[in-house]
Amino acid sequence: MSLGDRADAAAGSVTRADRHESFLVYARFRFLKIAMAAMAAAVLLYAADKPDGGRFGGTWAGWTLGIVAALLIVWLTWFGYRKRSYRKPEANLVAWLSAHVYLGLALLVIATLHTGFYFGWNIHTLAYVLMCLVIASGAFGVFCYVRYPRRMTENRRELTLRQMLGRIASFDEELHKAALGVADQPAAVIRDAIEKTVVGGSLRQQLLGHYPGCATAVALTYFGRADIAASVAQAAEIRKIRMLLEEKALLLARARRDISFKAMLEVWLYIHVPLTFALLAALLAHIVAVLYLW
Amino acid sequence: MQVEITILTVRGSATMRRSLRVSAGRLRFGRGTDNEVPLADIRVPLAAAVMSQRIGGLSIEQSGELPLRVNGGSAHSANVGPGDEIDIGPYRIVLSEPAEGLDAALSVELVRPMGDALDRILRHSRIGLEHTHLSRRRASWALFLAILVLCLAAPIVAYLAGQRVTAPTAVPAAGGASVVFRGSWNPGQLSNAHRYFAHQCSTCHRAPFRAVEDAACLTCHSGVGAHIPAGATGLAAIGAKLAGERCADCHVEHRGLRSLVIGEGTLCLTCHRALAQTAPAAAIRDVGGFPKGHPQFRASVVADAAGPRLARVEIGPKPVPADHPGLVFSHQAHLRPDGFPVLHIKPLACAQCHAPNGRGFLPITFKGQCQSCHRLRFAIGLPWKEVPHGDDRAVAGALEGFYAALVVKHGIPVAAAAPQIERRLPHSRPAAPLPSSARDWVAQQTRSALAVVFKSKEGCFYCHLPDPKLGAFRVAPVQLSTRFLPMALFDHVAHRAIACEDCHAARQSRSSADLLIPGKERCTACHGAENAAFKAQSTCISCHIFHLPRLGPMRQTAAPRIRQRKGGS
Repeated sequence: MSLGDRADAAAGSVTRADRHESFLVYARFRFLKIAMAAMAAAVLLYAADKPDGGRFGGTWAGWTLGIVAALLIVWLTWFGYRKRSYRKPEANLVAWLSAHVYLGLALLVIATLHTGFYFGWNIHTLAYVLMCLVIASGAFGVFCYVRYPRRMTENRRELTLRQMLGRIASFDEELHKAALGVADQPAAVIRDAIEKTVVGGSLRQQLLGHYPGCATAVALTYFGRADIAASVAQAAEIRKIRMLLEEKALLLARARRDISFKAMLEVWLYIHVPLTFALLAALLAHIVAVLYLW
Repeated sequence: MQVEITILTVRGSATMRRSLRVSAGRLRFGRGTDNEVPLADIRVPLAAAVMSQRIGGLSIEQSGELPLRVNGGSAHSANVGPGDEIDIGPYRIVLSEPAEGLDAALSVELVRPMGDALDRILRHSRIGLEHTHLSRRRASWALFLAILVLCLAAPIVAYLAGQRVTAPTAVPAAGGASVVFRGSWNPGQLSNAHRYFAHQCSTCHRAPFRAVEDAACLTCHSGVGAHIPAGATGLAAIGAKLAGERCADCHVEHRGLRSLVIGEGTLCLTCHRALAQTAPAAAIRDVGGFPKGHPQFRASVVADAAGPRLARVEIGPKPVPADHPGLVFSHQAHLRPDGFPVLHIKPLACAQCHAPNGRGFLPITFKGQCQSCHRLRFAIGLPWKEVPHGDDRAVAGALEGFYAALVVKHGIPVAAAAPQIERRLPHSRPAAPLPSSARDWVAQQTRSALAVVFKSKEGCFYCHLPDPKLGAFRVAPVQLSTRFLPMALFDHVAHRAIACEDCHAARQSRSSADLLIPGKERCTACHGAENAAFKAQSTCISCHIFHLPRLGPMRQTAAPRIRQRKGGS
């Protein structure tokens, strides 16, 4: 199940969301407890080992922490592959996600202790920085998971995005009919509102919901002018068009907001995933470098 | 004009035809319902075009803003006839041969419908970030490969292609661009002493996937002293353990500007904490730390100056350690607060005798420190003449030679006119008659001078001790120590801010047997443990060194070979 689908599922039904246990509280914070224990163990190990010459990644405690951190990185990355498997039961996936989040946060402590707080302009620190960025982007993802599904539900109000777009389409059809009798200039404005209004689009449009020069907004402004109607009969037509445009604009805003929320639920992955691969490469380089020049 | 209009409507794969006949002066096309041919699509102007009859045919003229397309070409107006195709917006009008009695026949078809409204919206809209220019897969691969190339492959190539310098004794060549790649693997800055060859990884890392070997270190550091004396009693096991360690096990590089020498005492205490159990035969006292756990200092004092033989004695009140340098000396007598006014000598300072030299002082010598005050005169009448110092056996010969030379040069001194009547004090001996021969005179003068020089508690024995075993005109051997704590590295220069007397109770010392070396408690007044906050942090190597040059080299190694590769040196 993709993230977007999960978000849809979470946002689509409040009752379903209530019935399901959030990955954050899964099994009464089982993985939070495990992560806390892992962090405590790492801190204890770090404190217990007082090597001659000071702590760094090359002492036995440093090696232990480094091996654990490396294995954890590989295991956490495995989640990205595993969550694409639809054959596994969903409850298991929630457990995996819960573990992914909490153990990912624990990794920050374990790997930081592994460094012994030695940093420099080298690939070793690059691997660490990439790991921090991956964790930070993941934490932002968790924040989005917590924040946006509820907002999506509130915004959708029992409508799915496709239903919203269907309604917008029916407004377009009504507008088409209503505009057949109007003069060419207003008809052209309406034609643009029908043909050139977009939902979604570029990254900026999807994320921020900004659609400068939106044809529907332009049409609404055009038909909002008081002097548009030349006769009483036309005034009724114009009123109808204006009403249709207003309703379309409202629905359009909701749809675009929905897309914006959905984009927020996805965009962090566009940082998280590529940086994870960068981290894997840097981790490999780090390990090879350490062993190559022993 | 009479026109037959066929309206074609496509429904799926079927085409429906509806024909109607229109009779009008001209044929108007447009969205408006008042047109003869209404084109009900918002893309068409209310009045789009007008078709009219002309002599010999038909003509069509654009009446709205929408340009006409006649047979594919844009036109404002055109003469048309059967077979021509006219596009008005999404509609296509095809003229055909009119039936008998008709002026024109044409078909009207909506060839570009607006389509389903929802499909149109979905078609125009890109929903989901996967429809933007972003690509997780592309970015992932790009970053993965870029980092593998730049951070893994390039440094390996730079390492393999770089100069195989295994002797940092040579001035290294300039690094070049590959330094950046090699530097990217550097896990931490090198110690300052090694930085000048920092860009030559192979100087120390001589083969991939192999730990740095001692041979790399010994290229420069072959003279580093051992820690355990060869053949030391009871230390074979520890010696074997040390022999199994690599230099780099203790001296960890790439840790920045901190020294490669490990300062933490725990390294030393690993062995020294329990040597009494692990190596009882070595008779080395256990050390548990500093200041707590460190035994009282043991000083090396002279037990027998003739040997000379030194003895290690613990500093403390019971028993009071005694030095036996073979001299009679009182610091107190020399450090009189008012000096020596009769001799016009101001109060003495420590440094007047103890001349600093490195961490310690120059050795005390008679010529350097004593002779300026303690002259070795042997005759009142000859205040400029002194006996030689340092070789007691040569004194008699020197005196005899002096007097012999005197008699050769000036003859036997003539005695003053002897009184006719010798008046002597009661019980005094008669004056010895002057010798008549030069030989006798020299012998007499020499005996007289030797009696002065070796007079008890005067002359030589003012400072030296007699040794009955050696004879009358000999002094006991002297052995003065310059370091009483040879196992430590006390640095007097580092402590120059502290007055000498704060540590050395010289003003109270009346005997050369007094050991003026302070005990541990004097050090711990200022020095604390290695994590002390209010005392100078002190660790084992603050006072001791591991590699002792006097014990010979730590590692025996073959002469380093300079490996050469093609293209490098």
